[in-house]
Amino acid sequence: MKAFTIFKAVTKNWIRSRSGLFFSILFPVLLLLVFGAIFSGIGGTAQYSLFVQNLDTNTSGQPTEISTAFIEALNSTETFAISDIPADANATEYVRDKLGPLGGNIRILVISKGFQDDLLNGTLKVRIGIIYDTVTYFEPYMTDKQNAAISQGLSQMQQLNASIPDTKASLTIMLDPADQSAAMVKSIVMSVVNAFNYELIGAENVVEFNEASVTTKRYSNVDFYIPGITAAFIMTNGIIALTATTTEFKRRGIIKRLSLTPLTKIDWVVGNVLCQTLLNLMLAGIMIALGWVVFNVRVIPDALSIALILLGSIMFSGMGMALSGFIKDVEAASAIGNAIAFPMMFLSGTYFPMEIMPSYLQTVSKALPLTYVSEGLKHAMIYQNPEGTYINMAIVAMLAVVFIIVGAIVTRWKEK
Amino acid sequence: MAKPVVEVDTLVKQYGQLRAVDGISFKVHEEEVFAFLGPNGAGKTTTVEILECIRPLTSGTARIFGYEVTRNSDVVEIKRRIGALPQEFSALDKLTVKENIELIGDMYEKHLDVMEIIKLLDLEDKTNEKFENLSGGLKQRVGVAAALVSDPQLIFLDEPTTGLDPKARRDVWAVITNLKKLGKTVFLTTHYMEEAQMLADRVAIINKGKIAAIGSPQELIAQYGGLKILKIRGGDEALAGLLQKKYDKVSLNSNGDILVKIDDAEEFWRVMATLTDMKVGRDIEIQTPTIEDVFLKITGGIITEEGELKQ
Repeated sequence: MKAFTIFKAVTKNWIRSRSGLFFSILFPVLLLLVFGAIFSGIGGTAQYSLFVQNLDTNTSGQPTEISTAFIEALNSTETFAISDIPADANATEYVRDKLGPLGGNIRILVISKGFQDDLLNGTLKVRIGIIYDTVTYFEPYMTDKQNAAISQGLSQMQQLNASIPDTKASLTIMLDPADQSAAMVKSIVMSVVNAFNYELIGAENVVEFNEASVTTKRYSNVDFYIPGITAAFIMTNGIIALTATTTEFKRRGIIKRLSLTPLTKIDWVVGNVLCQTLLNLMLAGIMIALGWVVFNVRVIPDALSIALILLGSIMFSGMGMALSGFIKDVEAASAIGNAIAFPMMFLSGTYFPMEIMPSYLQTVSKALPLTYVSEGLKHAMIYQNPEGTYINMAIVAMLAVVFIIVGAIVTRWKEK
Repeated sequence: MAKPVVEVDTLVKQYGQLRAVDGISFKVHEEEVFAFLGPNGAGKTTTVEILECIRPLTSGTARIFGYEVTRNSDVVEIKRRIGALPQEFSALDKLTVKENIELIGDMYEKHLDVMEIIKLLDLEDKTNEKFENLSGGLKQRVGVAAALVSDPQLIFLDEPTTGLDPKARRDVWAVITNLKKLGKTVFLTTHYMEEAQMLADRVAIINKGKIAAIGSPQELIAQYGGLKILKIRGGDEALAGLLQKKYDKVSLNSNGDILVKIDDAEEFWRVMATLTDMKVGRDIEIQTPTIEDVFLKITGGIITEEGELKQ
């Protein structure tokens, strides 16, 4: 079988190439380590920087008790790295100075003067209001004697409530619209404010909120990224690396030399596809093993996942061979490979969930081959859903056949 | 007469308005070294690639061992029987000499022992050297080894010495001479006059897609090379004048040498007798015409080292 001879030769050539080894294996592994570190929280949880200016001070210039408690509540979320802004400083100028020339995200929370007093007054007003409303709610069900007994009290409550100033405790958050984390910061601060509000008025949770995993096993964030990253690098190895290598073989006349022998085009294409498939199986194995060792991931590739990795490799290698049939030089191969691979990587739900994309991009993502490898691997490795895997696998297998046939057709075995 | 291995009849290759090969016809016989001599763009490589079945022809016919290069079923038979060193040969960089030759050999149903070929090409000490570490000359030798590994009857060598230094070029010439001794038919393309004259049994001079002349180097020189020249070193105008009175074709070149063109041996001895009578005791040299003179005569130009035609 000449395809096997080609497979042996190109594999040997690739294994002995340091740059080939780096870009095909080490680079994906490094990227996995970086992504893994981001999503696993190894080395400390990520924190958002937040500058807080507390203008609510007592007569001796010290922060009031409640404003201090609010800052502590923010701190207790362990989400913020809080820095103080002196009460007499211009908040934005102070933060700009602090961030220095390299900049950073400006996020300022200002606790207004009178925060504690307004909060106490507001709380009192709300609590009196609740008592008043509760009593009046039950008025129709009480006897005349009972109503007469409490009417005086209610009247006094109304008078007291009217005497309390109607001002709200004020917090101001200043965020940069260009700050991608602004929405997240705002949401966390609001959660703390709400919790503070409920605590002050003595409200208790009526609705209980529970969280459960959709998978039978308990997986970490990195577990969810492993199938996507594996699929993405199977794709880049096929579309970028194989296209560039084959184009280089063509430029240097290696393909021409082989075409002078009885070797057929299909043997050449299949030999190269087999080499990429072996490489991708190795890559997937290394990435999953690394996930186990470094990030303690729990995904275990079963026979279906391995079969899908095989089919995905064949499909993307076929795609690479098809592309190299149209491309003349290595620079163009690299540029075209990147132009196809990178949008596909970001639009196929590998790094970002498809749900956050506009509907037209979601439609585009359904036309991308990587979507089916990535989704299929998630079904196989995470959800343990064989049906979901089979559907994606069937699409990938069909595309693999199409790309190999196209690759064999467009590979130029003859000069013009 | 040996039987023809290559038969080409009114072969044409057209690219748009350009006729790269313009109705050429020739035959190459068994066990001969046949050279296609011409400048870059003359149509040498195009013709060879048509014969190697990797480039389609526009019209005409071309047969290798009687098989048509345009018929798919014949192409397989042709590829089984030929060996080829393409122009600017290259191989897989990270594979060794032996592995690269084996790779080509494995493309055939059977092939010669790779170590024997390596020995034949004097590459034994480079057997396990990676292709990327070889010099240009050694790479060409690997290319020739790859062309021979299937034990072909006909070997195409397309510009085998282009870009090589003089020593590497001589090494490749030695290999080609050896192939001839082994009884192989060699189809060589070159733009080096000396190479064609030294190695080929027959030479076809090709220019602008047409064969301008074809024959053995001796035949071509006899037909187109012109006269032999007797060069008298350190001559002077007086001596030149005296000789001019007796002979028609006498000239004085810028180096002060007197050049006398002579038609045959009889005329040579007559000139020598005259010089003896005149007691001219100077160095005398006989210059024989070469393929270069033939080429100049036919095309009106010479081929530069880079392969360009200079008028």
